[in-house]
Amino acid sequence: MRHGLILWREGELSFSDVKARQVRLQQAIIAAGLDGVLIYTNHVRSAGVTWVSGFTPYWSDGLVLVLREGLPIFLTALSKRVGEWVKSVAPTFEVAHSPFPGKLAGERLAKVGAKRLGVVELDRMPGGVVEEIDSVLPVELSDATDLFTKVRGQVDGAELNLVRLTDGIAREAFKAGDATSKFAGDFTGPVERAVRLAGAEECYVAVAPDLSKDRCFIRTGKAALGRTFAARLSVAYNGVWVRRIETFSAVSEIASRLASVSVELDHASPIHPADGSISAFYLPDGAKLIDWHLEAPYGTRPLKIVADAEKPLAAPVPYGILTTAFTQGGETIVAARPVGIGDTWRREAAE
Amino acid sequence: MIGEIRKRRLIEAMEDAGLDGLVLYGNAWQNDYLRYAADFGILEGEGLAVVTRDGDVTLYLDDELEGERAAVECPEVKTSIANDLIGTVSDVVARLGNSRIAAGPKRHLPYGLAARRGDLCFEDATALLDRLLMVKSIDELNAVRSAARLADEGYAVFRNAAAVGKKDYELIAEIESFFRNEGVDDNFMIIGVGGPEVRGMAPPLGKVLKSGDLVTTELTPCVNGYYVQICRTLVVGEPNEAQRKVFGIYNDALEAGLAVVRPGVTAADIARAENDIFRAHGLGEYVTSEYTRVRGHGLGLFPDTKPHILEDVNTVIEEGMSLIVHPNTYNPEIGYFVHGDSLIVRADGPEILTTTPRQLFSVDARRVAA
Repeated sequence: MRHGLILWREGELSFSDVKARQVRLQQAIIAAGLDGVLIYTNHVRSAGVTWVSGFTPYWSDGLVLVLREGLPIFLTALSKRVGEWVKSVAPTFEVAHSPFPGKLAGERLAKVGAKRLGVVELDRMPGGVVEEIDSVLPVELSDATDLFTKVRGQVDGAELNLVRLTDGIAREAFKAGDATSKFAGDFTGPVERAVRLAGAEECYVAVAPDLSKDRCFIRTGKAALGRTFAARLSVAYNGVWVRRIETFSAVSEIASRLASVSVELDHASPIHPADGSISAFYLPDGAKLIDWHLEAPYGTRPLKIVADAEKPLAAPVPYGILTTAFTQGGETIVAARPVGIGDTWRREAAE
Repeated sequence: MIGEIRKRRLIEAMEDAGLDGLVLYGNAWQNDYLRYAADFGILEGEGLAVVTRDGDVTLYLDDELEGERAAVECPEVKTSIANDLIGTVSDVVARLGNSRIAAGPKRHLPYGLAARRGDLCFEDATALLDRLLMVKSIDELNAVRSAARLADEGYAVFRNAAAVGKKDYELIAEIESFFRNEGVDDNFMIIGVGGPEVRGMAPPLGKVLKSGDLVTTELTPCVNGYYVQICRTLVVGEPNEAQRKVFGIYNDALEAGLAVVRPGVTAADIARAENDIFRAHGLGEYVTSEYTRVRGHGLGLFPDTKPHILEDVNTVIEEGMSLIVHPNTYNPEIGYFVHGDSLIVRADGPEILTTTPRQLFSVDARRVAA
């Protein structure tokens, strides 16, 4: 489940921001000759529904049915009492309850005489939901992942601002960590606390405890920290996920060099295009690239690897998180930063 | 080791049912079926485990970062990263040919897998797995006992962190930080802050604690995959007369429910014992689904597993189950109130796991958040 604060924050993501997204999706639905699009959500595969409504389930799952017109409908097996909470944090859709949400979707589709339904990631839809729909209305199902990806690929200002804000939470939280800690948990505990106190929806922390050995990130807090280690913060805030990786050292000389590299990356990364083009990478002087990958929101996944050294980017993404590993001055450094979010952030970071 | 024991039980159950293979689905919320076979606490993305009758288990994950973590944290589990999860697992299942393959939880089996198997179909392994999940082995019960200590310690942290002026999510930040430092993988937790206007618990809403508020929570830490829950209510400041009186009713209901627990009774018997206390006080309306969901539930690899403790659930309680009994519901005088303890069902009755005193806690109203 999620573990943090979830609120409707009109100042950060307004009803009209979300409405504009819904309208764009409805235009695409009409253009494709569909009667509606169905998007599944649980708190792991939340990105599609979050984008179209601003809502992320705290636990359990649900469906959002977007018809050609009108407010989308959130169909859930959650109780009506939980539904009151859902409405309080997402005024952008109608909430409908049933122990069988797929059946309810079928009933709503029947009401508008639907014949063709697009389903985002149809292959991944729980089979029980499809059976429930089919039991009410044998509608023609087609995969709407490409349709959704195309619409979702157009980023809006509200989302970019949230990416910047979320990255800022992660950047500040790292300051709570003590790089001279003996064990990973000693470092990550205060960092996670700082993220949550900043009002994040969720925070996952992982550590590559000794970069002289390998670059594998694990979650166990008992691992002893080596001379240099990397920490990865995955932070969710108002529906947006950002990953940020920093490399640390208990050796002061190395630590100050790492801090300089971090600042350089903060200056350079935001304006990099999120297109997975390796030529666009910023690397500090003398650095030698080991590996990289680009993550981005994709379908129902908040972040998914969409390009790496072997796999080119297949479709445009709204923004990305670029993770790089490189050596500099004999040290292995791992870093992750948002890319493709414009230069406003660059100026702010520089200040 | 515990993973090996589970796998052995699973294979035995498959043999008894005449199944040749199993496909088990999991994500970070509904991970119990997957984890039973492939001992990995998935966090991002989704996973499918394919189990064959000869004892082979392979975990397929669609997230590269999770695959990397599984390789380090669970080296004994055969893990494969599959960008095309459905295509990959479909091919694996196809190679099993015309054999008896079941899926669990059947409802969550991805549509693409079922569609590609066509007429061969997947049988439903949900009940088979549910039984294994409910009635636990000795080693599993020991894991549940270990988690109970952290539920108690977590509630102490919660009580100590509660202060006037503190926001609900800040309180949760303290708990999560404590749990993570203690190696707790996950924690199911909801909260309520306020008075008669509060009709249930929810995720944190940014509410600020003030004098006179009831603060309700259920904490459900997960240790090595096993969840244990504790429900308690505290008052900011001195409890008033109504709050004390209502606490007495809920405490009686909890004790009445616990007194019934033993092998052979049904989930309905436990629920009825709890609800009779409310009915005796003229509060029968508040034990209906309008105001409350369940009167307790199973615990294990999922925080809210079967059996649900309700008057219409006739599941027979068996030795080796772990449950929470919680008569949580709305009270019109003081608002939503929670009170519950976890237990293991033994031959001679319940072994209560959580040791936090059953009392209406209060925090000094002069304690102000920093």
